[in-house]
Amino acid sequence: MATEAVPSSPESRGYKRTELMAICAAREIRDGETVFIGTGLPMLGGMLAKHTHARHCVMIFESGVVDARPTRTPLSIGDACLVPGSSMLGGLVEVFGLLLQRGDVDVGFIGGAQIDRFGNLNTTVIGRYDRPKVRLPGSGGANDIGSLAKRTVIMMTQDARKFVERIDYITTPGWLDGPGAREKAGLPRGGPSAVITDLGIYRFDESTKEMYLESHHPGVAVEEIRGNVAWDLHVPATVRSTKPPTKRELRVLRTKCDPDGLFLG
Amino acid sequence: MAESEVHDKLMSLPEAVRTFVADGCRLRSCGIGLRRAMAFVYEIIRQRKRDLTFVISGMTEDADMLVGAGCLERIEGSYFGLEAFGLAHCYRRAAEQGIPRRIEVEEYSNFGMTMRFMAAAMGLPFMPVRSHLGSDLIRVESFRHPKAIVLDDPFGTGEKVALLPPCPADVALLHAQRCDEDGNTQVWGQLGDDLWGTLAGKKILVSVEEIVPTKVIRRDPNRTLIPGFRVNGIVHQPFGAHPYQVQGYYDADARFRKEYAERSVDLEAWRAWMDEWVYGVHDHEEYLKKLGDDRLTGLRAKKVLSGRVNYGY
Repeated sequence: MATEAVPSSPESRGYKRTELMAICAAREIRDGETVFIGTGLPMLGGMLAKHTHARHCVMIFESGVVDARPTRTPLSIGDACLVPGSSMLGGLVEVFGLLLQRGDVDVGFIGGAQIDRFGNLNTTVIGRYDRPKVRLPGSGGANDIGSLAKRTVIMMTQDARKFVERIDYITTPGWLDGPGAREKAGLPRGGPSAVITDLGIYRFDESTKEMYLESHHPGVAVEEIRGNVAWDLHVPATVRSTKPPTKRELRVLRTKCDPDGLFLG
Repeated sequence: MAESEVHDKLMSLPEAVRTFVADGCRLRSCGIGLRRAMAFVYEIIRQRKRDLTFVISGMTEDADMLVGAGCLERIEGSYFGLEAFGLAHCYRRAAEQGIPRRIEVEEYSNFGMTMRFMAAAMGLPFMPVRSHLGSDLIRVESFRHPKAIVLDDPFGTGEKVALLPPCPADVALLHAQRCDEDGNTQVWGQLGDDLWGTLAGKKILVSVEEIVPTKVIRRDPNRTLIPGFRVNGIVHQPFGAHPYQVQGYYDADARFRKEYAERSVDLEAWRAWMDEWVYGVHDHEEYLKKLGDDRLTGLRAKKVLSGRVNYGY
């Protein structure tokens, strides 16, 4: 007889962690919302939402596509497969300037290599800027989305080198150094509302703007989560387990969003 | 302009690069996720251009190869990676180890770069944006001083904006679907930052999948992105964006991009790849021949035709 219970991995539960992350992304989208989508799992989340609970959401892509209805998995935000069936095509000025900056985007998805307790993101450099240990791609559209969408959802894999006390470069502002900081910097709205990782889901306290654990994924222990955050993470007394994928979510994700496993693996 | 000069715009790829891309110039390229001016980039590398400043929002294989080949001194941009295929390793080697040389990088966001191109295209000294604020994109400067300025609205609303300087180019490259012999250039599909970025060029070079009679352009002028009188050189270059897509012509060659991403991780493997695909071929025709008819045929776009509109009055 086993002496201790080993939490079962998501794989043994019949789904992958990437699948759960894409499903959690989809659940952040409400019906009728305008959603700014980035490459990878957020594209799958957007497509899944559109096929399930949020049929009237509008997906926009920074390359210039408005209300995309792709029939295959897009390779990137500029994939030509996003064009047929969309409602309008422009370029970066139309999407960033006329829709995002004006305040017409409800939720934007971004990723990161490092994050701090206030949800500030680094996708630029690990180490000193002028002597990088690892040079990363930079902002792309992330700074614009994180600055100007009404709320942002952050998606990344999690470990203690990524969830750090102090990030090496603020590529995209989260809540900066706490309450009132975005307003002081002159940002017109927005801020991170959720962080989705391979271990759990996090939100931000309304008064302190600090990240807290909302739910751990099925089979992930809270201690494992604490071990993968470099600061003393706030864990409420009543933390729950993330709702597992439904059969319908998994079926639609696998058959309609990423049948070849481009991003789901 | 005299007829003979108009006709002079048509040139071969090597001739266009030799004539317009000088060492040390500010060079702009095009395409976000598709329609990249790859044939131009390969030729610039073959001609061993040096000390260029490369400017574009999203940089992928094009900039990575230029960096690795030692063509660039400076970069102004916002994204530098291979999208779904991972990090840009020549860029990493240059930034982290100075291989083959140190490059200076000034970075903004995608929207910021686009507004900088717009300022240059419109002849304005700056453009305001409401992103960048509060981030290190404002604080960390490389070679531009000041890189950006935060301004309280002078009209007194209490709102803040970041003012960004223009981003002009000596030469702007654009790969497009088609143009006529005057250079009236049409693009469809996503436009990215190509309208503003191309018009930010003092000189404009276009490569096109097809050169069509001017009446084809003039029957559908809404689709024209760049008027012919702004275009200095035209190169007829089918599959000029391979391995990227061109809407209505061909799909992405994902296998090719994946192979580049894998081979570029190691410096020697990257050099061997470049010897095979860039230095080792005489021109883009030889590159396409090396890819083979079967592979190119497999990439050709299926027909998804638009409706027609009535331009009558």
